[in-house]
Amino acid sequence: MSTDIQTLKSLDFFADLNFGELEQIAPLMHLMKVTEGEVLTRKGELARTFFIILSGNFMLSFKEERSFTLHNKGNIIGLSTVVSPFRYTGTAIALTDGLVLLMQGQEFLRLIQSNSALGDKIMRKINKIVSERMPYMTGAWGERRH
Amino acid sequence: MFGFEAIIAHDGVGISVIGISIVFVGLVLLSFAVSRIHKLIELWDKKNTSYQRVKKSQQKDQKTLSVSDLTVPQDVRRASRQFKLLIEWMGEPFPLPKLLDLSRKCGLSSPHSTINEFIKCKLIIPDENGYYIWNKQLEEKRSST
Repeated sequence: MSTDIQTLKSLDFFADLNFGELEQIAPLMHLMKVTEGEVLTRKGELARTFFIILSGNFMLSFKEERSFTLHNKGNIIGLSTVVSPFRYTGTAIALTDGLVLLMQGQEFLRLIQSNSALGDKIMRKINKIVSERMPYMTGAWGERRH
Repeated sequence: MFGFEAIIAHDGVGISVIGISIVFVGLVLLSFAVSRIHKLIELWDKKNTSYQRVKKSQQKDQKTLSVSDLTVPQDVRRASRQFKLLIEWMGEPFPLPKLLDLSRKCGLSSPHSTINEFIKCKLIIPDENGYYIWNKQLEEKRSST
């Protein structure tokens, strides 16, 4: 368990969380091996799982086949698990073998709703990532670029 | 019993002859070894120079390898020809999922990881609109080296 907390602590997404909050999250996160070509999320499907990349390379594609790639530890896939209408806005494919941490969307949502301080910290991070990725999702390119 | 009588009675002559011959043989061997030292030194020098020569050539090989690594790995170079044809057929800027799909349909080996390599070595670069372009500048630089 302490190893899990250490792993979570090393991720930028959880950087603002204290030890007690990380202790709440750690049992909900599970390690999963990913192989080249594996599809993690499909556009339009119910968003059931939230992923954090530990290693590997991934491609996220959105409408009109706009896409970007993720290569860094701590990058997030499956933000739609906590954002209405809870359907994936993009398709995520593993470009190489890798490791991800995953959490069931319902558990993640329950955690955010049950602990307002924790929820606030996490939603702030999610909002930041969503705003960065918004042009890819909508196709409307503002001043912000990913 | 004293003097020579005692020496003869206790095989002293034989013992001293053996002793003298042992010392003599030892000295002969030692002088022979000393006379051959220059040969040994020559051998040692040769060994060192040849070892250094081998080491230098290995370092040179490593250096040349690392120089090519800085640009594009060999297997990626080979694969790039096939992918470039697909990109030319699609036109630029191209959507990455389409390239992936086409390369899969064409039966290219490990298209996901190959495309990832292209992106990592900046042979394929994003156009800031969600699409990608083939990095001609890098390719030209690569072919000129």
